[in-house]
Amino acid sequence: MYRIRIHGRGGQGIKMASRVLGTALFHAGFTVQDAPKYGAERRGAPIFSYVRADRQAINERGTMYRPDLVVVADDTLLAVPAAGTLLGIDAHAVVLVNSRDSADTWRHRLNLDAKLVILPSAAETADRANLPHIGATCAGAAACLLGLVERDVLARAIAEELDGLGDTVVAANQASALAAFDALAGQSGLVQEGVTIAAADYQAPQWIELPFEDASIAAPDIRAAANSVQVRTGLWRTLRPVIDYDHCSHCWWVCSTLCPDSAIRVAEDMPVIDYDHCKGCMVCVGVCPPHAIAGIPEYLAQQQESARATGGGADDTETAQR
Amino acid sequence: MTEQRFKRMKDLPSTHLLGTGTPMCSGCGGLEALHQIYDVLGDKTVFVNAAGCMTLLSVYPFTPFRGSWLYTAMASAPAGAQGVRDALDILAQQGRMPAQDDLGVVVLTGDGSAYGMGLSATSAAMDRNLDFIYICYDNEGYGNTGQQASSATPHAALTATSGGSRGYPGYKKDLFGIWAAHRPAYVATVIGSEPLDLARKIEKAREMKGSRMIIALAPCPTGWDYDPKDSVEVGRLAVKTGVWPLKEYIDGKVVHTRVPRERAPVEDYLQLQGRFGHLFAPQKNTALLEEIQARVDTYWAGVEPQRPAS
Amino acid sequence: MTPKLLSGNAAAAWGARLAGVDYIPAFPITPQTEIIETLGSWIDSGDMPGRMVTLESEHSMLTAAGAAAATGVRVFSATSSQGLLYAMEMLYTVAGWRAPFVLVNVSRGLSAPITLEADHNDILAARDSGFLQLHCADCQEVLDSVLLAYRLAEDPAIRLPVLVNLDGFYLSFTREPVDLPDEEAVSRFLPPFDAGEIRFSASAPQSQAVAVLGGGPYSYFRYETHLAACNGVAVYEQIAAEFASTFGRERGALEQYRCDDAELVFYMVGSFATKAREAVDRLRDAGQKVGLVRPRLLRPFPLGPVEEALKGKQAVIVIDQNLSMGQGGILHTELLAALYGKPGAPPVVTSFIGGLGGRDISAEEFYHMVTVTRQAIASGTVPPPRLLYTAGELREIRKLQAVAMVERQETAPARGTAAGKEAAHD
Repeated sequence: MYRIRIHGRGGQGIKMASRVLGTALFHAGFTVQDAPKYGAERRGAPIFSYVRADRQAINERGTMYRPDLVVVADDTLLAVPAAGTLLGIDAHAVVLVNSRDSADTWRHRLNLDAKLVILPSAAETADRANLPHIGATCAGAAACLLGLVERDVLARAIAEELDGLGDTVVAANQASALAAFDALAGQSGLVQEGVTIAAADYQAPQWIELPFEDASIAAPDIRAAANSVQVRTGLWRTLRPVIDYDHCSHCWWVCSTLCPDSAIRVAEDMPVIDYDHCKGCMVCVGVCPPHAIAGIPEYLAQQQESARATGGGADDTETAQR
Repeated sequence: MTEQRFKRMKDLPSTHLLGTGTPMCSGCGGLEALHQIYDVLGDKTVFVNAAGCMTLLSVYPFTPFRGSWLYTAMASAPAGAQGVRDALDILAQQGRMPAQDDLGVVVLTGDGSAYGMGLSATSAAMDRNLDFIYICYDNEGYGNTGQQASSATPHAALTATSGGSRGYPGYKKDLFGIWAAHRPAYVATVIGSEPLDLARKIEKAREMKGSRMIIALAPCPTGWDYDPKDSVEVGRLAVKTGVWPLKEYIDGKVVHTRVPRERAPVEDYLQLQGRFGHLFAPQKNTALLEEIQARVDTYWAGVEPQRPAS
Repeated sequence: MTPKLLSGNAAAAWGARLAGVDYIPAFPITPQTEIIETLGSWIDSGDMPGRMVTLESEHSMLTAAGAAAATGVRVFSATSSQGLLYAMEMLYTVAGWRAPFVLVNVSRGLSAPITLEADHNDILAARDSGFLQLHCADCQEVLDSVLLAYRLAEDPAIRLPVLVNLDGFYLSFTREPVDLPDEEAVSRFLPPFDAGEIRFSASAPQSQAVAVLGGGPYSYFRYETHLAACNGVAVYEQIAAEFASTFGRERGALEQYRCDDAELVFYMVGSFATKAREAVDRLRDAGQKVGLVRPRLLRPFPLGPVEEALKGKQAVIVIDQNLSMGQGGILHTELLAALYGKPGAPPVVTSFIGGLGGRDISAEEFYHMVTVTRQAIASGTVPPPRLLYTAGELREIRKLQAVAMVERQETAPARGTAAGKEAAHD
């Protein structure tokens, strides 16, 4: 069985990617299972979908413990443990990352012994939640690495899955997917089919007797106040609002009041954005009376931050060159 | 009313009670309204919630509230509020709870519950003159399940269950009118993009007794299909075009708190939203746009003669 | 103490009054309405403190009941049949809140066709809701069970709502002599409700009943509710022992009537069990060693006591006043599951469906169930579930059908075959 997991953010077409890949593999003669994993997460939040393909009936369901191919549509997710991008990856797995950085850089950063492939991004955009056709691009690249699907089958799968969105949308997605498919032609078939763990030498689950606990503990109640601040929704952000304090008119209520997430507070007559929680909606950018807030791509902001943190000027130059 | 606490924008709170880190969508117009409302109500509140987007505000083990919360079910949040209110009164009456431990009881529901499944329970709570505040964040559809049409959905809007060329065939239910017909203590419409109007109304409601009913139009980037950055703009246009009248019912009278001097054409509001995209492309549906404009005009024609002298 | 003549509904109301309930969310439904009317009149006259609020539906009534209990007061409510099912979403919900209160259900057959008299499909639909269940056989037991139910619900090892079930008409509107316990004795037995940490208060912010994502945490909370319910068997027996020493009445998890040397026992719940008691006496007079086992506590299922009570019997005769479509009786199914593979389990368990919609069960039918069961023991073949329904009753429905102009066409061949089968059954 082939096991493929696709990670991205809400809004990037991750569910569509799994469906395109699933349909393409189905047309190629495989029995297929594809599904998105839903949670409480919204646009920009880490999500994933998966595809299983086999020559025989698939009985496995749900959680994918040992993927053969992991596709990461947005490399900022690799740094987010909660996104679970690296769950179950071993030397046998292929990890396909959509990134500006090289495979070596990521191998070094993540200390992975898996096969790392960088997905060449045909189009680039400031807002990574709006990467054009990234879902289709991922599906095309994954199809190539699997080496199980012909070019025309991939195109047909996209046409079927996007049926109803109009010919223009279908054609654009096909173009992106096929470009990614062609770009990785040299690595076609890199993904190795995974094996199933034999029943003979399984590791026993560590079942326990669940102890009775008093309702004061065992009812679904929370006695903390506003502890949701422990959830770093700043990870959803693909664009970062930055206040230019030279132009801030200290009106002090507009951005802070209208920020849906209470993520702008006013300290000493100055608005301060809480980047741990700002989801990057950019409402503040639009409502600031003197236009003192600008939105910049999150990845650039992070690069600048890390450059400042390491104190080196070289990285700044590198960023400027991009 | 007593001396007004919110005279100008600078009187609004600049630090916020509602915790960050909620799973609401980026740019959520409902959350924008809720955090402003919470700042005015304060943390001595218990929110009684019905199934909807905001049920996910408190997902174990996290909550953004500094006060209390009870999730009930989609149909019966006002009945949950009844139980909590009565129990708190009983505890106080029996001397089992010090006065400072009392809580304001606030129902929090979406339009799916408020306009539909929960309307019977809401009506009955008003009949009983339950001492509570009811807040409906109205994003004009079953948002948490992917924006299917609800009875709050406006005419012609595309939803997951009204995707045809003319969109939703029905008309948005007049919940304000239905509520006001019960003659509760207070009914008001608000919107997060008009914070001062919102704060004044919530403050007014906070100081009253009885059933105080609030509908907050909640621009929804996910369900209405627009860029999250435009949430405030969409909200402001809802008011400027007269699509969302800001008004209150008090002492048997309806008063409009904001009468646009010159209403912007409804097109300005509609064309920002993907759910009305079919009115503008591939070609402009002038007839339908005129129909929508005419309904707004008719509404305001009935309002303007009664415009208060103040 | 002089007993008073009280209906089952009045006994339920007295239970709530003696328990000193603070709050009664209510909604009328036959045959329960008298309970809330009685409580309402006592509150109006000042005979009891407390507050009653009439909601607009049972769904809202249960929501208010759970919410008030979750805020920290002692709550009582009552419903029946369609009302219990209308509230079903909230039964599961408030049990999950771990909100302890008492709900009386006056059993009534479920629609369709809509009807008024008793059977147990309503209460058994709530079997897996997380509410514990006490089933009553007479009016005294109704009053006693309400008091027992509060102790059970509020016990820190349990903290779950409890349903007390009485049969419509046969108990609800039937007066019997009932001992009203002394108020002081009741307050010793049942001290005021201590809500502990689960309550609402400005000084202790709390988010109750929050959403849970993922099967792991969900399993934990649901299973903890199950474990709390499981505690109910031991806790109930202890409370019942205390009740017996205080009030002098045995209210154990099982009623066992003339069981010690019984070869065969009836197994059933509810008020028709007193008919079984009578049948046992008559059968004993006729030299038959027959007894009765009647669970008062049905949730949690008193597995140990049931296993012990039935050990070594030749057969169990299960009478179900309910129907599980395509399966038969619910108590029968449950009992088979409980006994399977247990040492000394009775080899024969027969199943009879009777008393649907308040249909009577005659003494002869009890006797005949014993005969059929003895035949099963002798032949080694257990018959399928048998509906207690007579040829006379079928003749009656034929007459009604004629009036309704849905008369059977005697000449039609298909119907003719059916008539042949009926004849064979007679």
